[in-house]
Amino acid sequence: MIKAILFSLILAMQGTQPLDDPKEEARAQDLMREIRCVACENEPVSQSGSDIARDMRARIRTMVAEGKTNTEIRAWFVERYGEFVLFRPDSEGITGKLLWGLPFMVLLIGGGFLLMRSQSSKRTFVDPIDPEDA
Amino acid sequence: MIELGHFLAFLAMTSSGGLAYVGLRGEREMAGKLAIAGFILMTVSFLILIRSFLISDFSVELVATNSHTEKPFIYKFAGTWGNHEGSMALWCLVMFGFAAAGAWTLRTGRKVFEARALGVQGLLTLGAMAYLLFASSPYTRLDNPPLQGSDLNPLLQDPALAAHPPMLYLGYVGYSFVFALAAAGLIEGRIDRIWAKTARFWAMTAFVPLTAGIALGSYWAYYELGWGGWWFWDPVENASLMPWLIGAAFLHSVIVTEKRDSFRAWTVLLAVMAFCFSILGAFLVRSGLLTSVHAFAVDPTRGTLLLIGLLAYGGFALVLFLIRAPSLKGGSEHMLISREGALMGNNLIFGVATLTVLLGTMFPLIAEAFGQVMSVGEPYFNLTFTPIMVIALVTLPVVQAWAWGRADLKTLWKWAAGFVGIVVVFWLLGVGPLDISLLAGFGFGLGVWLVGGAIWEIWRRAKTLQRLPKLPGRVWGMTLAHAGLGVFIIGAVGETSLRQHQTLALEQGQSLNMAGWTITLDDVQAVEGPNWYADRAFLTAKRGGTTASLSPEKRIYPAARMPTTETAIYSSGLSDLYVALGDSRRVDGVTRWTFEVFKKPLVDLIYWGVLLICLGGLLCFMPGRKSAKKDL
Repeated sequence: MIKAILFSLILAMQGTQPLDDPKEEARAQDLMREIRCVACENEPVSQSGSDIARDMRARIRTMVAEGKTNTEIRAWFVERYGEFVLFRPDSEGITGKLLWGLPFMVLLIGGGFLLMRSQSSKRTFVDPIDPEDA
Repeated sequence: MIELGHFLAFLAMTSSGGLAYVGLRGEREMAGKLAIAGFILMTVSFLILIRSFLISDFSVELVATNSHTEKPFIYKFAGTWGNHEGSMALWCLVMFGFAAAGAWTLRTGRKVFEARALGVQGLLTLGAMAYLLFASSPYTRLDNPPLQGSDLNPLLQDPALAAHPPMLYLGYVGYSFVFALAAAGLIEGRIDRIWAKTARFWAMTAFVPLTAGIALGSYWAYYELGWGGWWFWDPVENASLMPWLIGAAFLHSVIVTEKRDSFRAWTVLLAVMAFCFSILGAFLVRSGLLTSVHAFAVDPTRGTLLLIGLLAYGGFALVLFLIRAPSLKGGSEHMLISREGALMGNNLIFGVATLTVLLGTMFPLIAEAFGQVMSVGEPYFNLTFTPIMVIALVTLPVVQAWAWGRADLKTLWKWAAGFVGIVVVFWLLGVGPLDISLLAGFGFGLGVWLVGGAIWEIWRRAKTLQRLPKLPGRVWGMTLAHAGLGVFIIGAVGETSLRQHQTLALEQGQSLNMAGWTITLDDVQAVEGPNWYADRAFLTAKRGGTTASLSPEKRIYPAARMPTTETAIYSSGLSDLYVALGDSRRVDGVTRWTFEVFKKPLVDLIYWGVLLICLGGLLCFMPGRKSAKKDL
């Protein structure tokens, strides 16, 4: 029992201090930049001075130290606070696919369109002009 | 007195209406006079508004709600535009400013075109003035003036307030004149090289202050918010980034129109879109759809009016465009592998990047309308916007050497080898002595690649040392701006991948080590300013032979009942040591203060890079070679 209390105390203290393993700490900090503070206007927990943000930072560090994966940690926060808490929205479902896929789709379609247009004008031979100015 | 300002603003609005009328009828002389008259009227009106802030005339509602007698002079002055109504008045003033500047300097030899451009500017100004006077009037009196004002948001009480909004507005509103030139060109159906030359000049006039204004805002957030971030992908920042991206795309596309009489439809469309994105930004920020320090007035009616304005002006321009677009085809032929092709690629990528920012910014709003609450933030943009832009940056040094019309790929393998070489060097540095991640290695490689590419390009054009100073200002401008992008990227990658952050708890006299620095807390004192009181910590940081004194503060502004952090930054010109003061905790009779300490390697290069981009833009104003003039 005492051991358990001590352990949770240690975990709580770990929350405000960086984790010993720099790799784990980096992972925790990356997560802190993508979890949204639920009390602030538009800030990730990494950039908020509010108490809840501090608790959320501590929670992230604790879970990273426990060896939880990023997916598990994100899921934990979503379960409590909803999708709102993720600054990195889910790519599942139609909305997710649309959000993440659209920029690249437009890039490909636009590129393809320009390529086709210039192929059709390729028949005329164009002399190169050396540009001296911009 | 404020009634006089109000009256003059009405007169100014009348002259903008007159300007629209005579301008669109093609009367150049009269339009010029009305533009200048409107500018003078609005300037006096704005000065009267400033005066009521300076003398703390609390019978003016705007002053009562946004000022305070104990506020320092500079914030009384700059506080004029630190609120919704005042900033809209500044917006209108800048609009008149561009109309007057256009009236003064437009010399295209096409009187009717110039008159119509001024006329469209008058039409845009009329809309802005109507919005100012009927929906956001700063000239309202209070029946029972309070004895004291309720002060300006303390976060805004910073010297940057004097420069950041005016710069941004020169940019946003500058695009209104590019829009006016585009509309006038479309009315005439004449989008040609002279049009392109004129539009490029004015687009650059907007682009440079917009770039500087965004960077200033970023630096302001960096030192004021206390979390060491410099870009948050906040919707408000995105709102300023979109017109910037479109403006940058325009500056590249218009070159093709000016030099080769090609891409005319696309260029004029971008000219229209830049200002549309400016209004969209104003709409997003002012409508209350978003919450931020910039969202002064949470008022849906004002938002709706801005949206109507956007649809009306944007729709007007798009209809004009659709009518004229078929006649804008043609121009010189080119192959895909050519400078035209390269600039087309640039435009595709900038266009898609803008769309990505728009999508990420609007998506949560749209999702909310369908009952789904979600957030889109930094990780999204890092994984979409950034890789898309990287495509343009990697290819930039290669394609800028391509010739107009048709280029060959004979030297492509050399370029490819060069790029791979640079990336491998940084990758080896990464696994070896510097211990940076592979991605950071790629980022540094890309930055060096761009700077090197710029040096290579200027040398390719000059060929000899003697010719180097004789190159036209535009060539130097382009090269500096592209090198600035490289410097910016090195800074951004350095800050992102090498930053260190630690929370230190110190009692007086205690020292702790952080990232090579020994940081000692010498003292904490209570200090008092004109309209705030604060705890100010005095720290000494030592590293090797360098000693830095840092005094971060935590301020309370009693009038606004709000705390702010004043960070302390020691900058070496490349890297920053950044300290923000946190809370104090008293445990066992000992008071410990917490400090958020950041080491920010290379962060200053971000701002040096932007400075180079602005400098490059300014160099483009230098007159070109004689032959270029003969050309046109």
